Amino acid sequence: MRQILKKIIYSAFLAIMLLLPFFSRSDYDLFVTNKALLNIILASGLVFLTGFAGQISLGQAGFSAIGAYTSALLTTRLGVPIPIAIICSVFLSVIAGLFVAIPSFRLKAFFLSLVTISFGQIIYLLLVNLTDFTGGSRGLFNIPFMKLGKSPFTNTLYYYLFLIITALVVLLMNRIKYSYIGRQMFAINDDEVAAEACAINSKRAKFFAFGLSAGLAGLSGALYAHLFGFLTPDPFSFFESSNFVAMAVVGGLRHLSGGVVGGFLLTWLPELLRLNISGFENYYLIINCVIVLLVIVFLPYGLGAALFKALSRLWGEKQSALTLRNLKNKSNNIERE
Amino acid sequence: MVLNDFLQNIIGGVTVGSTYGLIGLGVVFLWQSINRINFANISSAMLTAYLFYSFYTQLHFNFFFSFITSIAIIAIYGLLLRYLVFEPISRHGGDKLEFVVATLMLCTLWLSVIKVLYGGLPKPFPPVFGESTKFVQIGPISIPSVYFWIFFVVVLLIFALFLFLRKSIIGKMLRATAQNREASLLMGINVNMTTSLAFMLSTTIVGIAGILLAPIYFVSLELGGGSIGVKGFASAVMGGLIDPFGAILGGIAIGLVENFSTLFISSAYKDIISFIILVVVLIWKPRGIFNWTAKGD
Repeated sequence: MRQILKKIIYSAFLAIMLLLPFFSRSDYDLFVTNKALLNIILASGLVFLTGFAGQISLGQAGFSAIGAYTSALLTTRLGVPIPIAIICSVFLSVIAGLFVAIPSFRLKAFFLSLVTISFGQIIYLLLVNLTDFTGGSRGLFNIPFMKLGKSPFTNTLYYYLFLIITALVVLLMNRIKYSYIGRQMFAINDDEVAAEACAINSKRAKFFAFGLSAGLAGLSGALYAHLFGFLTPDPFSFFESSNFVAMAVVGGLRHLSGGVVGGFLLTWLPELLRLNISGFENYYLIINCVIVLLVIVFLPYGLGAALFKALSRLWGEKQSALTLRNLKNKSNNIERE
Repeated sequence: MVLNDFLQNIIGGVTVGSTYGLIGLGVVFLWQSINRINFANISSAMLTAYLFYSFYTQLHFNFFFSFITSIAIIAIYGLLLRYLVFEPISRHGGDKLEFVVATLMLCTLWLSVIKVLYGGLPKPFPPVFGESTKFVQIGPISIPSVYFWIFFVVVLLIFALFLFLRKSIIGKMLRATAQNREASLLMGINVNMTTSLAFMLSTTIVGIAGILLAPIYFVSLELGGGSIGVKGFASAVMGGLIDPFGAILGGIAIGLVENFSTLFISSAYKDIISFIILVVVLIWKPRGIFNWTAKGD
């Protein structure tokens, strides 16, 4: 009985995802959903980096910016076909990620977050100041949209494309999590010295984690460039990076669904709060921040983890061992400090 | 001519840098007591500047009343920060990262609150430190008179902090807690009180820095986010996040580097250079350059 319920709920979810363009009220709703899918790709990378490998990055917008501007410049200036440009931009952001991984060998937690903040800010300031190259604050225009045959992609087509890519990313995450690489990450997150003693190469694992999350950020940025058609430095500022981390934390860092739930919710939440009552146009940002703060303060495991806990209780399954690992341990640590 | 530029930049760099040092001091006090970095550290600077602006310009109170009231409010805000953000997160099992994200959200929250209440445009800071256009001429060098006030207040504050930390019993308790929390618990030090005190000191010092920076940056949203906050972190890192006076020296170093990169390279790249310095210091000497508190590397 419960297994049937599980099947019904999952297939209903799948059907909703597939038929969403036909339900959506307007083109704008679909556009926001597309943006949400891009944020899911980025936040999944961040969940992997922060939740699994234990490295904080507050400069994800920097990687995203590298991806977006590389793809945009390659297609507009050099006339490279879009798929090749996207692959190049992912490649470049992976390389940037590998460079940012180097400080993480020596630095932990807050110090590492300061390095990544600086990385993001340097990229942002370069975008603003290298006016010949990036167009400065005026931005880059006429970035080609993707084309199907002759006609450019509509929002519906973009939606299906992004849905496929997001599904692949989530699948990849799932495979990595239960592979030896993912288990290495968990070991390093728990105790780096002990992991090294068990012949785990922590440097290689960190390179991998940073490279993967930077690559996903670059992919998301490149797709963003071709979805919007123009680029300004604004969506790559420090506050955007902190928003990405908030997505990962609100969704749940130690759970695979964290990036999906967080990315989707935090993209839609400001849009839903944007009521057109005169005098209240600006309040939605405050309410958005307050809601996120409340979630973080009262549900530090994240909404995704809570959702799956409730669901697994619904169909009477046990939680898998890797989801809510060693949280008790960590809270004990805080008291001991 | 070149020498004059040189001297002028040194004076400007030291003055502005010492306020960065004060912001770094806020980071240091919190790091010492709870081992966390408050990313909404710089928000206290913006909040105090706006509070002072409301009291002084909009409500027409006198200088001392507005100054003391806004500082008192920001100290209470520090206490609230502990009991409404830090303690609940720890109680619900949140780790360092949850605190980071919560404070980042707090930073965005205050920015949007200020944007709603006061609008996005910068407000002129009331000329309590003399007109910003007034210059003091010493030989060939002309220095804005505001700089003297800033420097005076910073020196006074550092002297007071020095006396407080070294001579008073509460300051000694604070330092003891920072060095070893458990041992000071065993010695009968009220760690709960010193933690609250550290939160209040952190927001208060950053608040004073906010009022001092307001004549230079105006009462604007720039005080509450972006690069000034990171410069505060950078100066704290130079002191290894432990040494209060190292943080001040680090701030002065950053101010000097910033001014000289404006002089020699370009003002557009001065922020980039201070970020690069932060990264280099973190990688090269994670325990800080001006750090005499902790031994070894």
